[in-house]
Amino acid sequence: METLGFLIDGFGVALAPHNLMFALMGAFLGTLIGALPGLGPANGVAILIPLAFTLGLAPETALIMLTAVYAGAMYGGRISSILLNIPGDEPAMMTCLDGYPMAKQGKAAEALAISAVASFMGSLIATIGLILLAPLLADFALTFGPAEYFALFLLAFATLGGITGKNPMKTVVAACIGLMIATVGIDNTGVQRYTFGVLELYEGVDFIIAIVGLFAISELLFFIEEKAGGGKAQMSVNKLKLTWADIRGILPSSVRGGILGFIAGVLPGAGASLGSFIGYTLEKKVVGKKGYFGEGDPRGVAGPEAGNNGASSGALVPMLTLGVPGSGTTAVLLALLISLNITPGPLMFTQNADIVWGVIAALLIGNFLLLVLNIPLVGIFVKLLSVPPMFLLPIVTMIAFVGIYSISNTTFDLYFMVAFGVAGYVLRKLEIPLVPIILGLLLGPEMEKNLRHALDISDGDWTILWDSGLAIGLWVFAAAGLILPYIVGPILRRRMKVAAGAATAGGPEGD
Amino acid sequence: MTFNDRIFGILMLVLAVAYGWGATQFPEPFGGAESIGPETFPYLLAVVLGLSSLYLIVRPDPDNAWPWSRTGVELVIAVAVLVLYAALLQPLGFILGTTLAVGTLCWRMGAAPVRAYVTGAASGVVVFLLFNFALDLALPLGVLSFLEVS
Repeated sequence: METLGFLIDGFGVALAPHNLMFALMGAFLGTLIGALPGLGPANGVAILIPLAFTLGLAPETALIMLTAVYAGAMYGGRISSILLNIPGDEPAMMTCLDGYPMAKQGKAAEALAISAVASFMGSLIATIGLILLAPLLADFALTFGPAEYFALFLLAFATLGGITGKNPMKTVVAACIGLMIATVGIDNTGVQRYTFGVLELYEGVDFIIAIVGLFAISELLFFIEEKAGGGKAQMSVNKLKLTWADIRGILPSSVRGGILGFIAGVLPGAGASLGSFIGYTLEKKVVGKKGYFGEGDPRGVAGPEAGNNGASSGALVPMLTLGVPGSGTTAVLLALLISLNITPGPLMFTQNADIVWGVIAALLIGNFLLLVLNIPLVGIFVKLLSVPPMFLLPIVTMIAFVGIYSISNTTFDLYFMVAFGVAGYVLRKLEIPLVPIILGLLLGPEMEKNLRHALDISDGDWTILWDSGLAIGLWVFAAAGLILPYIVGPILRRRMKVAAGAATAGGPEGD
Repeated sequence: MTFNDRIFGILMLVLAVAYGWGATQFPEPFGGAESIGPETFPYLLAVVLGLSSLYLIVRPDPDNAWPWSRTGVELVIAVAVLVLYAALLQPLGFILGTTLAVGTLCWRMGAAPVRAYVTGAASGVVVFLLFNFALDLALPLGVLSFLEVS
């Protein structure tokens, strides 16, 4: 039971008073970010990264705080799905189906409480899964050579769109753009590439600036375009009347949803949206005729909500063990790791064991904190829903400015951020996904290093890239990730759309 | 209409060619050329981007409408405000710059002008105080620097 020992050490890190305080703060901020209109989890975490630096936090503290934000945002996202029938992000779409009818029947508080319990169960199951699976996967990943890593990175890009993705070619274009930006600067043989003699470009493009620009600034521009500044009407929530019997009633659904969600989160290309979709469909099948799904069945809230949270914790497995994130928000967390000078990947489990296990323990603690925060404080979060975006988004933009400015105290970075924001707006209009660009920026240097390494070993023979069984397997999966969306994608998307029915799609970028 | 993807595809094709050509211009690294140099990875990217942008040109998706007229003007105003905010942050100082930038953005997004600028000023002052005193991080005071307590 080596793992158990590490986990206990991890609790030692996570329970240190200041870490606990930052976890609580992160959980609160995260729920806020999830609940506020126009601030997706990826966006929220991105804005907080520069602030975590300026606070001068220790690596494990910064990481604990931002994972708590990540977990919290998943909790917060469901509030608007249930009360307003507007999913805060794509995975929350399925929660609308039964959550909103419950709210209409005057059971909003129950729906919120049930979803909080289900979210908790989902995350708990997935975190346990993470504890069991991550060390195994990390051990396995130690056998990877440079060629396998190169193939793995390709796999990450190829499956990023997910099998429900619309146009895989656009993912490829986006990944290329990101990787190209990553090549700017002085490479590791000392050659300047694409710097055009501009001093600020010698060290390359700071990916934090790119992320904040692409997410936060483009979001502002989208809100302006849609004239969505008005905000929503005040909502009131009835008094909570939840019995133990109700909670017992949704437990099996939560467990099923959580396990499915975890699997969907770990697998490349599935993602949280698919997790919550499968969670809902399975619930419908299992419960069968006894259920009244679509008309406010609490199990229809619990299943997808557990699935959604399970998937978001599951998505941390490939990010922590392989250094390959599977979603927008985990990509942003990876950005944090890299900028803290921690090389993500299997070695992190041995070299930075305290940090990894501290974060995992923090996830467990964070979930308890979130459950405790969410049930009594839900009234506050509900009030926040009606903050009009016309005040909120300019302030968020200002905070993004402050964060970026405080990294280097130069205005050059600010112009850069605005430029990225405008580019992000145009790309989103063209339906070019932004997450592959960010992943390209993050993984570019590692990817090139592994390519060079592999080709150095083979003395320039390119066949080394598909020389081992493992590498071939990864290539096959990568190819499948690009081809499957053409075959399965339209069918799955149609089904999700039919199931979602009235629920309006669309929301902030990333999950 | 399928102009967007076609035009974007052509732009990306141009980028791919320019990027690939740029890679041929790298100086030889110190210690002589090896089987794989600084230009290998860029070549690979240029080829992949070139091929995928050709695909976009041949099989474009339907267009999303661009906001022309009023909304387009609002967007240009917003970008201009952001650029000016960046430019004036140091000379004008954080508090005044934020009041103007956040205020203008709130106003253009539909808030009443007075409330908009009050929000801007309040958020500016709060964040300034928070950063300078609680977090010990100096934001520029600019023209308000006579207020500085030293």
